[in-house]
Amino acid sequence: MSDAYARDTTLVGADSRLYDRALDGVISLTVVGFALALLSLVQVVGLAASGPVLGEFMLALTAVTAGGVGVVAAFSWANVVPITSERLRGVAGGLLVATVLLTGVAYASDVTLAALLGWLLVVEAVVVVAAGAASRFGVVETTPDASAGLLAGGAFGAIGLGVGAGVGGSLVGFGSAAWVAVALVVGVALLVVTVVAREDVGSTVPAGLVVAVLGATIASAAIGVGWEWNPEVVSGGFTGGVVVPIFVLTGSLLSAWSAAKAREGFGAQGRQYGTFLVINLNALLMLVVMAAIVVFVTLKGVGYAFHGFEVGAASAFLATLPFLALAAQRASQPAGTEEWRGGARQLLRVLPVSAVGALSALFAYVVVTGRSLAYDFTYTVQVNRQPEVLDTSVSVTRSLVVGSPLVLVASVALLAYFFRRYGSLENVGDDLPLVGQVRRALPLVVGALVMIAGAFGILGANPFGVTALGGTVAYWIVVVAAVGAMALALAPLAGVLAGGDPRAVGERAVSVAPLFVVGAFGGLSVLLATAFLESTARTAPNVAGVPVVAFAAFVAAAGFLAVAVLLALGRGNVEETITSRLVDEEVTLSLAAAAGFVAVLGVHVAGTGVPFRVGPFAVATQGSLSWPMAMQAYIPLGAEPGGILPAIVGTVWLVVGATAFAVPLGLGAAVFLTEYAEQGNFTNLVEIATNALWSTPSIVFGLFGAAFLIPRLGGDESLLAGMLVLGFMLLPLVLITSREAIKAVPDEYRDASAALGVDQWTTIRSVVVPAAMPGVITGVILGVGRIAGETAPLILVLGSTLNSTEAVDVIGGFRFVAQPPFVVNDALTAASASLPTQVWAVIAAGVSGSPSMGWASAFILLMVVLSFYAVGITARTIFRRKLDYE
Amino acid sequence: MSSNFMSNARTTLLGQDASEGALLTVGSAALLLVATVGVFLVAPALALPTFVLFGLATVVSWVRHQAETARLLTLVATVSTVLTVTFITVYLFASAFPAVGEHGVGLFLIPVVDGNVRWFFWLDAVFPSGETYWNPLSGAYSLIPTIWATVVVTTISAFVAGPLGLFGALFISEVASDGVREVVKPAVEVLAGIPSIVYGFIGFQVLNGFIQTSFLDDGASFLIAGLVVGLMALPTVVSVAEDALSSVPRSMKDGSVAMGATQWQTMKSISIPAAFSGISAGLILGLGRAIGETMAVAAIMAAGVGLSNPLFDVFDAGATLTSLIATNYGSASESTIDVLFVAGVILFVIVAGMSVLSQFIERRMKEKLRGQA
Repeated sequence: MSDAYARDTTLVGADSRLYDRALDGVISLTVVGFALALLSLVQVVGLAASGPVLGEFMLALTAVTAGGVGVVAAFSWANVVPITSERLRGVAGGLLVATVLLTGVAYASDVTLAALLGWLLVVEAVVVVAAGAASRFGVVETTPDASAGLLAGGAFGAIGLGVGAGVGGSLVGFGSAAWVAVALVVGVALLVVTVVAREDVGSTVPAGLVVAVLGATIASAAIGVGWEWNPEVVSGGFTGGVVVPIFVLTGSLLSAWSAAKAREGFGAQGRQYGTFLVINLNALLMLVVMAAIVVFVTLKGVGYAFHGFEVGAASAFLATLPFLALAAQRASQPAGTEEWRGGARQLLRVLPVSAVGALSALFAYVVVTGRSLAYDFTYTVQVNRQPEVLDTSVSVTRSLVVGSPLVLVASVALLAYFFRRYGSLENVGDDLPLVGQVRRALPLVVGALVMIAGAFGILGANPFGVTALGGTVAYWIVVVAAVGAMALALAPLAGVLAGGDPRAVGERAVSVAPLFVVGAFGGLSVLLATAFLESTARTAPNVAGVPVVAFAAFVAAAGFLAVAVLLALGRGNVEETITSRLVDEEVTLSLAAAAGFVAVLGVHVAGTGVPFRVGPFAVATQGSLSWPMAMQAYIPLGAEPGGILPAIVGTVWLVVGATAFAVPLGLGAAVFLTEYAEQGNFTNLVEIATNALWSTPSIVFGLFGAAFLIPRLGGDESLLAGMLVLGFMLLPLVLITSREAIKAVPDEYRDASAALGVDQWTTIRSVVVPAAMPGVITGVILGVGRIAGETAPLILVLGSTLNSTEAVDVIGGFRFVAQPPFVVNDALTAASASLPTQVWAVIAAGVSGSPSMGWASAFILLMVVLSFYAVGITARTIFRRKLDYE
Repeated sequence: MSSNFMSNARTTLLGQDASEGALLTVGSAALLLVATVGVFLVAPALALPTFVLFGLATVVSWVRHQAETARLLTLVATVSTVLTVTFITVYLFASAFPAVGEHGVGLFLIPVVDGNVRWFFWLDAVFPSGETYWNPLSGAYSLIPTIWATVVVTTISAFVAGPLGLFGALFISEVASDGVREVVKPAVEVLAGIPSIVYGFIGFQVLNGFIQTSFLDDGASFLIAGLVVGLMALPTVVSVAEDALSSVPRSMKDGSVAMGATQWQTMKSISIPAAFSGISAGLILGLGRAIGETMAVAAIMAAGVGLSNPLFDVFDAGATLTSLIATNYGSASESTIDVLFVAGVILFVIVAGMSVLSQFIERRMKEKLRGQA
């Protein structure tokens, strides 16, 4: 093992040398300088700042550094995140010392930030050159090669050319050709020094010289804050505000590379450390840029986007439930790597649960005390081309009314979550003949209900002018079906409770397992069909003021919840493992069923518009969530500007339409090309063509849509054309990812299926496609994320409206007509707003567009797109982990 | 001969061992679909009812002969995908044709400024020159300024995306630990997902002021647009180059490490040379993205159609091929639209060509590496 490895694990101690510490110090100085230059480039701090102003800023920077380094140090000390690398410890210590020193300098003198940065570079240059000299004269033990190499030589030659051109140009002027000569001389000189001299000199002296020149230029204010260079020939120029940060960035990078090399004693190890430092810095910069974009748009847009946001405590609580389930699942899984101490690991595991729990408690507090939580702030709107500041707030109110969409979303999420965890209860428990009969009859009953509902849906609530049909026949069918569903749903509870011994709950539950299956699936499907029948027949039966379907759903949900609680409590007394497992299954199924019945309750309220109340709680069509930005259209001449609902609805329909067009085609083609077609020239050609299509500029698709589709779809910019164009763009991606996913299915799967005598199509249907589905879904989600933000083609085919006042109503837009095409939909053939074109409209509107509204739209668009990406990437990670386990 | 053809067609349609009677149902569904396409081209209004008939026929044959129907449906999907691609291409070219016929090489008119033909490599020997080079009223349409603007913006973006992309790819594939890679790789993907209009809006709102104070310019320029577009092309370069670097066989790197080389020496002398063509494929693909980028450019830069003076003036501004289409299409006359189609075809050909080239390079590299592994 070389010294480098040995040093890696020793701690900073008496034996670490001045040489090492000085170079660690330089590396941290370059980091500080780099950060300061970036901050001044984006004008967080002015280059002209000096004295107390600069001091305060530096103090803040010191605090941030101390916080960051301190937390890591504390964790390291507590052995949670052990930092063993001496280099890292040295740099961290250096960071602290550097920021403290710079703060001191800023307060003590009246030097400007620009000059300070210049001196920083000079100091770095001196230390780097000193380190090179120390190595050359054998003061420290290093392992340099004979030369720094041609790569570094070439790089320094190029840098020398630039520096020489600058120096020469400012000395003799760009008018004469002399500056070219100076540039050439400096460039060649640096190249020669780098290549000819031994590595320790070759990689420190040229770097030191360049950095020193850059630093001296800034420190002497030859290029200072007020400096300007505005050449006649070009239409722009440079100012000190840009050049100084760029000089500092370049100088910092150079001296960091050089110092890092010297720190590891040159040679192969030194080169590696130097390059890795630059590569890591680059990666960090990329992440910083990304985070900066997202944070910047959020900061600019979030205020406007949430103006007047209001939510009832009950709704907020309901919305946290699915997250609670997820957080609980995370907490129940062991996580973390081995280096983490047990305590920290457990803390991280339970953190999400406790956060969600704290939130729920907060909402409960609002309900109990009746004091709503509110955060007041202001936002800017544009009135007659003048900005105007309005007061607004985000609040959680006391309201216990929950909207049906929220109920639906939350309960379906929970249903999906529990149902995924549920395995099967097939062939468990006693065979009850009655249950078997009910089971066989159920599909017929549900089918009949759906058919009746469909008939009412097509023919209207009062078909053939007979008023009695909807009002009477459907009424009674609904009542009977709802009561039947309720009876089914309560059967498991009855089965568990019947019979004396309370200690044998678990065993009894297992023996009546068929009741669970029939109660959950049968009850749910019957009641769901009933709810549909209700809404199509436009009848909402209620007995003694209680809406029957809602009541049935509520009782069923409560029944299943009670069963789940009973079984969860009674599970402790179960002795056999197999019984205990089965009881677990039943609990999961009961929870899923409870969530499902709540979802049916939501369907009922949404379908009939009749609210349902239990005590102070209520489920209504209009919930207590009010989010003007996302739930209102633009309000002309209103006190408040309203929101961008039409754009959101438009984007939703665009995505739905494009997906509906592209996914079946792309998936079908992928199946054919991979499973049926012979692999050869044709499939290769299709692959190359789809890849080419995928990278074709989106505006070209827009051109095609505008010139070909629009004249054939009514002659105006239309939603349908937008859907198709985005579908064309999505198609190649779906095809590519589906093909990759299908190809990745191992051939063993196909062979095993074929060996069982299964024909090709059945193999594809039940083996290949299910195995490829995760990849396909991930690809589709990522592709949808991309087309959701696509703007260029939409400008051509969808138009862009600034203040749209009406959202498209696609579902309600269908009409039957007597002449072909027999079905028309005016909403589909009309222009619509969409999120990306909304942002573009603000730009195109110039001074009459409201910047704050644009930021808010951009923020919402960014959030929509990023959530698609987040879901897609998470899904891929999960699927991949699963595959790895298999 | 004809019976041979029939049986071929039958095998393609139904597969090897089709059950009897499948031909009738599946065939009728297929015929109805063909009819739908035909009807759409002739009388669009009747297309929907025909398509519904196709749907009914499919449902019937799905119930009776599921395997054959499924095969037909996937075949239909393939054919429609291929047809869509072909059709878009053909239509673009056909639409661009009238303008080419009308203006000919006039589309590549070299501007004359102050009596001097603008020096433009050797092009002024081939193409005509004139005082007016973009004036829809007088029928002068030169695409040279927009092409040049595209070239300038793309070149600047290459200087951003190239080195940063290579370093980023090296970081992800070679330097980063597994845990860090799990974070950085998706982050790069997300960076690719930020919609271009968001970049455009940031540029429109923020950069303009910054440019006026810091670059003494009256608005965003090629330089700024190039930097932004380079940032947008960066993720593409990173992911394709990273893909190439990761496909270098483990054994090659292990051999180098076993000889006592450091990680960086291995990267420099083994991974990068072996993956060089893949990395350049990534850069090509990234530049294709940069050329096709529309909204950021259209939102940031003023969309004039003048030629920058002097040519290397990166502080000038002008429409690129993409932003020319985006900003002019809405208000364009018939003949201008034809010219915009020529711009579209140029874009299409260049970018599709770059994509095909990069795929070719990538395939060759993978084959070569497979041979060595």
